[in-house]
Amino acid sequence: MAFDFVPRFELNRRHWLEVGVTSALAACLPRTLLRAQSAPQSCAPPIPQNHEPSNGGPCPYPIPWLDKNGNHNQAATPNVELSSIYHFKGKLARCNGFHGMGTDNKGNRLAWGTPTTDYSYMAGDYWSARQVHQSVFAHT
Amino acid sequence: MYWVTPVPSDGLTFTADGKIATLQMANVPIIDQPRWPAIDAETTPAFLDFKLVFTPTDDPVRYENAMQQYRFEGFKAKAQLEATARVPSIDFTFKTDPLETSKCDFAVMGDEVNGKYYESSHG
Repeated sequence: MAFDFVPRFELNRRHWLEVGVTSALAACLPRTLLRAQSAPQSCAPPIPQNHEPSNGGPCPYPIPWLDKNGNHNQAATPNVELSSIYHFKGKLARCNGFHGMGTDNKGNRLAWGTPTTDYSYMAGDYWSARQVHQSVFAHT
Repeated sequence: MYWVTPVPSDGLTFTADGKIATLQMANVPIIDQPRWPAIDAETTPAFLDFKLVFTPTDDPVRYENAMQQYRFEGFKAKAQLEATARVPSIDFTFKTDPLETSKCDFAVMGDEVNGKYYESSHG
């Protein structure tokens, strides 16, 4: 969850900018559109040739008990799993509950941020398809 | 990974001492969905540029749950964010005030192991 504005539309918790949804979609977009995004990769397991074994797809596993409802929307607090990736080892930072002000293109001053305005990074190794992968991800 | 997006190799940087982390991305494709979580909530394509800076404090934290197989060790932190969001179809842009003016209720930074790496690591 990401970047919530309080006053512009209605006071909706994730009122606009559902980064998470399109972050998932971003992996499907061509690189020219993504620009600063990393190269897209398919999560689909490759079809083995010549009777080779199938070890699954290369994308990271979600946290099993957070994924049971189809999302990872657990607020960051002390003593909870802060990663969004299972079988992960590396650097992690997490934050939420931003408060700030900003200005729209009509000059209106607006507050932004809610208790669920939530960001993180995860940089290191993750395990999938029976091998180690190295990558950096952001929870936005 | 519904809530996770890959980051380009230069998107996450650390200061020379490894303490301060900056996550910066541009033109992240996102959506504007004012009526979320209504099941028929319409969406509009939007884009986000953001810069997020984590600075650790001297206050250590350790979160571990053997049943759920995770261990996080690090420090409480200060996190600050500046961003620009654009919704081209309605000609709307919002720019936050500078990074230094934002505040955050909860932030930590450190190292995490979970899943298959949990048992093999030493806390």
